[in-house]
Amino acid sequence: MSKLQTEVLVIGGGSTGLGVVRDAAMRGFATALVDRGDLATGTTGRFHGLLHSGGRYVVKDPKAAEECIHENRILRKIAADVIEDTGGYFLTTPIDDPEFADKFVEGCRATDVPCEEVPVAEVLRKEPRVNPGITRAFAVPDGSLDSWKMVWACARSAEAYGARILTYHQVLRLIVEGGAVKGAVVKDHRSGEEVQIDADFVVNASGAWAGQIAEMAGCEVTVFPGKGIMVAMNHRLVNTVVNRCSMPSDGDIIVPARGVAVIGTTDQKVADPDNWEITREEVQKMLSAGENLVPGFRQARALRVWGGVRPLYQEKAEADTRDVTRAHALLNHRTRDGVERFVTITGGKFCTLRLMAEETMDAVCGELGVERPCRTADEPLPDSEEKRYYWLGARVAQREETLHQDQLICECEFVPRRDLEAAMLRRPTTNLDDIRRLLRLGMGPCQGGFCIYRATGILHQLQKISSSVANRSMLDFLQERWKGVRPALYGDQLRQVRLDEWIYQGTLNVGHLPADEAQGSAREEVKT
Amino acid sequence: MSADVVVLGAGLSGLTAALRLAEGGLRTVLVAQGVGATHLAPPTIDVLGYDPELVESPAQALPAFAAAHADHPYARISPETVAASIGWFREKVPGLGYVGSLDENLLVPTAVGAAKPTAIVPEAMAASDVRAGGRFVFVGLRAFKSFYPAYLAENLCRAKLPSGATVEARGIQLSDPGQEPDVTCLEYARQFERPEFRKAVTAELLPQLQPEEKVGFPSVLGLDNHRAVWQELQDVLQRPVFEVPSLPPSVPGIRLFRALRKAFRNAGGRLVLGPTAVGAETSNGTVDALVVQASANRPTTYAAKSFVLATGGFATGAINLDSFGEVRETVLGLPVAGVPDVEALRFSPGYFEDHPMARAGLAVDEHLRPVDADGNPAFGNVYAVGAVLGGAEPWREHSGNGLAIATGFAAASEILEGAS
Amino acid sequence: METMEWVRGSLDHCVKCTICETFCPVSNVTPLFPGPKYVGPQAERLRTGEGSPDASLDYCSACGICTFVCPQGVKIAEINAKARAAMKAERGVPLRDRLIARTTLMGKVGTPFAPVANWFLGNQPLRRLVEKTVKVHHEAPMPRFVGRTFQSWARSHTPLQDAASAVVLFHGCNVNYFEPKLGEMAVAVLEHNGLRVLIPPQECCGLPLQSNGLFDDARSYVRKLTQSFLPYANRGYDVLAMSTSCGLMLKREAREMLDLQDDEDLKTVSAHTYDVCEFLLALHERGELKTDFKPLPMTVTYHPPCQLMGHWMGKPALDLFALIPELKVEETDAECCGMAGTYGLKAEKYDIAMAVGAPVFQQVEDVRPDLVASDGETCRWQIQKATGVPSVHPVEVLYRAYGLGG
Repeated sequence: MSKLQTEVLVIGGGSTGLGVVRDAAMRGFATALVDRGDLATGTTGRFHGLLHSGGRYVVKDPKAAEECIHENRILRKIAADVIEDTGGYFLTTPIDDPEFADKFVEGCRATDVPCEEVPVAEVLRKEPRVNPGITRAFAVPDGSLDSWKMVWACARSAEAYGARILTYHQVLRLIVEGGAVKGAVVKDHRSGEEVQIDADFVVNASGAWAGQIAEMAGCEVTVFPGKGIMVAMNHRLVNTVVNRCSMPSDGDIIVPARGVAVIGTTDQKVADPDNWEITREEVQKMLSAGENLVPGFRQARALRVWGGVRPLYQEKAEADTRDVTRAHALLNHRTRDGVERFVTITGGKFCTLRLMAEETMDAVCGELGVERPCRTADEPLPDSEEKRYYWLGARVAQREETLHQDQLICECEFVPRRDLEAAMLRRPTTNLDDIRRLLRLGMGPCQGGFCIYRATGILHQLQKISSSVANRSMLDFLQERWKGVRPALYGDQLRQVRLDEWIYQGTLNVGHLPADEAQGSAREEVKT
Repeated sequence: MSADVVVLGAGLSGLTAALRLAEGGLRTVLVAQGVGATHLAPPTIDVLGYDPELVESPAQALPAFAAAHADHPYARISPETVAASIGWFREKVPGLGYVGSLDENLLVPTAVGAAKPTAIVPEAMAASDVRAGGRFVFVGLRAFKSFYPAYLAENLCRAKLPSGATVEARGIQLSDPGQEPDVTCLEYARQFERPEFRKAVTAELLPQLQPEEKVGFPSVLGLDNHRAVWQELQDVLQRPVFEVPSLPPSVPGIRLFRALRKAFRNAGGRLVLGPTAVGAETSNGTVDALVVQASANRPTTYAAKSFVLATGGFATGAINLDSFGEVRETVLGLPVAGVPDVEALRFSPGYFEDHPMARAGLAVDEHLRPVDADGNPAFGNVYAVGAVLGGAEPWREHSGNGLAIATGFAAASEILEGAS
Repeated sequence: METMEWVRGSLDHCVKCTICETFCPVSNVTPLFPGPKYVGPQAERLRTGEGSPDASLDYCSACGICTFVCPQGVKIAEINAKARAAMKAERGVPLRDRLIARTTLMGKVGTPFAPVANWFLGNQPLRRLVEKTVKVHHEAPMPRFVGRTFQSWARSHTPLQDAASAVVLFHGCNVNYFEPKLGEMAVAVLEHNGLRVLIPPQECCGLPLQSNGLFDDARSYVRKLTQSFLPYANRGYDVLAMSTSCGLMLKREAREMLDLQDDEDLKTVSAHTYDVCEFLLALHERGELKTDFKPLPMTVTYHPPCQLMGHWMGKPALDLFALIPELKVEETDAECCGMAGTYGLKAEKYDIAMAVGAPVFQQVEDVRPDLVASDGETCRWQIQKATGVPSVHPVEVLYRAYGLGG
């Protein structure tokens, strides 16, 4: 078994873990991060992409609201490139209690969340698809963000400070000796080999799986997986985040996230964060909720459905997971469980990633007896140095520059060939989903119908893999796309599915490719 | 406007029916919301490729297939009619030189290098038949992003052929002349019609070729002068040359569309592109006129004695599945067969699994008239052809174009017989 | 739903099939235009209405072919047009576009000074100067002013007495300022069929303004025009359009493009608007068209304008020509002559327009017909200039076949 030595080992490649590894690396620690999959394949890659103003919590959970607005301001400073400054509205729709609006206003004032009442006519002018029956409207500084961009920017920042980011490295067991955690044994899924990582301190940032990791050190941490589903609509029905002005409920928000509009979400406790289903009822709930905010929603095109599990930590069990606080919890296992050199940082929201990391690393420094200040609020992430917010038209504008110099591989999302090849070389992988997360390949209306064949051909050429492995990549990707398309498959998206079936099963006949030569998944074929 | 027959839909099934009817002397109007899947699909006429095992002879397999699949459109048309329709089709597009027969499927490579069964192909694809193995070289073009010859070749080499023969295949990439980095297959087809371009391509290619090697290009070998372009390449390269279809658009499909449209025009047919059919005027179980959404703010009707629905099914929204799970045929409100209950499984979790919903579509009687659950035709003078029909999964069976031609031909025959 | 959202919402139907791109006459001749799928449903998903990202959109000629070949019902040309208007609103509309869009203004100014204006338009050095300053290409075909308007003729024309019924003639700016004789022929043909022709005062439909992104101006023109015809439409009279593009404006384009979807007056007028050939063919279908055509032993090449196809009614002129004995008709097998309204006038678009039209010109030269017939006036200018063959409206062919000219 190969060995790796580091000072701070972070388990979990979601927003929390990436926040921690960046903070740790910037404080001068030797750091390593492991995740069993690609970055942001847990909850982080599966939410609606809202940059919270805090408005959603001002009445129900004021502490969470305060944290949100505080971090909102900081993120705008350090991660502008990740954020689209869409602004947000809270709207009293025909099914909302009109009195809630006053509570909302009061709650904003009490938590320092900027909130301005705007005339309904102005909202309808700016967002003509919104329900004309709204009676009151409030503007808040919501935004929308690209979670993959965020975590990869954190990763690049951490790597610039010497961190090792090890995706597809799954923790098999923690090394516990003499009442302290000394590291972990992980399995590299790509090579199939085990690696022992020795560390001075281990941070458990594994989100909804935090309990499973903590248990490896004999600590009991109860994290409720709170499942929520979201539906991406093919185009932006609204360009501003739109919330119902009411107590949080299912399907009360639509977020314009890159080219799509995401409606979410539900909140249902599940037993196992890796094992749950999306039901027809849930999807119908989202569509009906959408119809309330945007009449005609059901005639618009639903692209796909996905779900994520929120890590909801509570010392005591609650009946409805919606009642569990969104505030985060930092558990020092030395004081709590008698296990040293081990903390769990869990709960929280994407938007508080930096704050959670700061608190965590302050505690880690305290345990290690060193004083190293946090600088994460001061230094912008890579690509955010100019403090320019993300502009939706950026890719189209970039393509204008390269119309006569480069090929467009994914036409829906404007992904040029050079970007695709650079990504493939930078992070060698045969899993096209990894590339998808970096570039949005296959995330547009045709869901890979045209680009996946091209990307597979390019992958085969560039990575010098066998056609067997390339086939596997293509087929896996098709299956992944299908997984999300199937639960909300109707109307226009069914037309698309038919065309894609004609292309892949008809024209290309991928159902009758020659049998695989090697066994096992595509991931195990690539040497990094 | 009034006519003898109105055909709704300009895909291969609509064009087939309309051409046969116009040539039969009936005043035929072809109304379509837009152009059909001829522009997207390969020009291969797949009659029956998989059942689910590889079918070696459609002619032999059809009778048993029809018997085993009572709801399939092939169960409504005799094998003789299928054969007659394919024979008729070949004569209508002599410029494409279709070869092959229903007695034996060819096996041709797809753009990923899978071997695909098909009954008849244009002459420009004939040399790609791999049933007997052989040596092949696949040629990629500098700026064409929908063709990967090395990947194709590697897969093709590993193909397990029924004959046991082996295929030797390799891929090469040309740096053909031109500045633009992102060139469509249609633009390449126009380039290939220029002698200086062909000269440059063959000059670069010839030294790289091996003896006894068949040369495969993506399907870009010309548009209006396709035959001359293809023949010249064979002469200069001194080897058989063939095309391999890839992602849409399909240049060979465009050639096919133009040939059929021209034939339809020459037969006196009228093509109306653009309007969407929204309903019909009916009386006593007969459709009197089709109502379309006009450009002006008034209903426009197309009156006729017979109507052929070639509207495409779910792929075009002609049959629509709405967000509540309800299914509707959107022109005449015809009953749709094969639709599982809303709560039941309609689409399976595995992409390549069988999907119960896949065979939903219009059920028809032996005259190809849409019928309800009891087998009664909703209208006495309406026929349905092509992808709007239920009971088939053409993309898996590899039966698409064959079904389109056979049903279009058969429905036209029904109408012609009725008219005489 | 507001029209813009309805047009924009149609992008949901796009399955990226590329059919529109195979038909686009502009992207088929130049790589400067990435194609209708690209600038339409594809880029529109990434436009927020703030900051237009793609200047290449301006190369769209608005021929409208993409929309009527789309099998899924995406309103591609309309999406493009709206996006381009938004872009122009942001970047400013060039003076040139403002000028050539104002046909009525040009007509009113040019007509009294017809000889001077024509000399000006035919004078190459002056045209080159115009190209440098205003960016109208020096070779672009320009019509000739004739010194009197069709309206002035109409005012002194005695309408048919004892007519069975009446129709309204929507003559359009071209007939009024450049081809009044065509208007006279149309009146003669309609009167020959027992129809009294009403010619109310009327101005521009606003289409050139709309296609150059001047939506507010276009709206006021089309509203004014609607009011001119409304009293007649309310009394059940049909309005016959001599120009396919102007007719299309009243039929649907104004409602779709200018957010006049719910304008009741426009809806009423639209319900009564016909293209003149469409109307004559409908008469024939009812058995009411006089078919006393004399033999016309000549060859005519018919070019259906792209804008005619936007009416979604096929090619009525062809069916009318079929009634004329000995007339040989060849239909062009090409989508667009290149002019597309004002597109081909523009210095930076002229070469593209000529490349687009090249197949049409070639087919005309191969056939060498006696006449070219086309329902679109700008098509006639374009084809006549490129080939030298006299190009007429189909109504003129009928006029001759009826023997009305003597």
